[in-house]
Amino acid sequence: MNILVVDDSRAIYAMVSQMLETGGHKSVWAEDGLKAIEVLKNPALKIDVILLDWNMPNMNGPEFLEANLKDKFTLAPIVMMTTENSPEYIKKALSLNAAEYIMKPFTSDILFNKLSLIEMMI
Amino acid sequence: MSIIKDEVYKFFAQYIYQNTGMVYAPNEYYRLDSRINDLVKFLNVKTVDEVYQMYRGAISPDMRAILINISTNNETYFFRDGKPFTILCKNVLTELVTLYPTGSLNIWSAASSTGQEAYSILMSIKNSLPEDVFQRIFISGSDISTQALKKATDGVYTGLEVQRGLPIQLLMKFFNQTGPELWKIDQSLTSKVKFYEFNLLTGHYPKDQYHIVFCRNVLIYQDNDNKKNILDKIYDSLKPGGYMFLGTGESLIGIQSKFERISFDGGAVYKKV
Repeated sequence: MNILVVDDSRAIYAMVSQMLETGGHKSVWAEDGLKAIEVLKNPALKIDVILLDWNMPNMNGPEFLEANLKDKFTLAPIVMMTTENSPEYIKKALSLNAAEYIMKPFTSDILFNKLSLIEMMI
Repeated sequence: MSIIKDEVYKFFAQYIYQNTGMVYAPNEYYRLDSRINDLVKFLNVKTVDEVYQMYRGAISPDMRAILINISTNNETYFFRDGKPFTILCKNVLTELVTLYPTGSLNIWSAASSTGQEAYSILMSIKNSLPEDVFQRIFISGSDISTQALKKATDGVYTGLEVQRGLPIQLLMKFFNQTGPELWKIDQSLTSKVKFYEFNLLTGHYPKDQYHIVFCRNVLIYQDNDNKKNILDKIYDSLKPGGYMFLGTGESLIGIQSKFERISFDGGAVYKKV
């Protein structure tokens, strides 16, 4: 799958992209929600799944989810990937149409398990 | 790859132990090599010493997450292998509810470990079958590890554990957060299961007790004599028409047993005929 990783931490992206590569996936990086929208406008990049951090500058995770609900710039399933792990946050993300939720810290088997849950939905 | 000083190994071993409970003893420090070198790469620095200095300072949640991510591994899952839980609800229980229209429906999770299998069974039933069927279910969970049984009975799992196999909607539906990294399974499920110590080789098996037995990924560790012994006792512990689930990849090929193999979409189960 082609996976867009939206996270302001270069180190997190380095780790996640390596995990994804070992699972046979390709990844693209966007540092925040606004940059993610730019990436999604590129028709050459067919994004299958989006991994989305919560706290980011310019446009954070929930703002990105809200913008997508309004403008529908992607139909790709969106998986939150964040250190915010309280039920209130999770419920909010699900109410804004997030398909899954990965709480940091996580391991590569958790990432692949969540992606396989998402693949079953696609 | 740089040479890593003992002081650095000790620091990271201690940090991992405090955050995950995983032990890296001094004679196993070499197992940390690739992990510490991964940190150098992910944090985009040049040396192990730089990483060491970064972690000795103020650690951000992301830095903590990265270290824990690359340090842990665990094979216990909720909904492990998926299909058995679908077959349980869609095929097996539907049939057994007709065969046994009243009274309790007893399910044995014969190697329950830390409880994920027993709770996955309950979540599947609660989610996909009528409430009156769920009300009739009672689960016995057994294991030889008292430590695993205590955890299963408490029903409290870490953030890592609840993410293994459990869709987020089920986490929200059946768990309550009891600490920053801890989730406790709801009392409506814990009240339906009793965990106890039991050795499958030497334990005393009840006769005609269970409607369904889950004995997954246990027999693979046994020789053929032990396998036959355990299978015969499980057969006798099942009620007529009862079913046994084995692990994905396990079969009774080459073992004499009285079970009949029944194929369903997604896998096979074994029936007492």
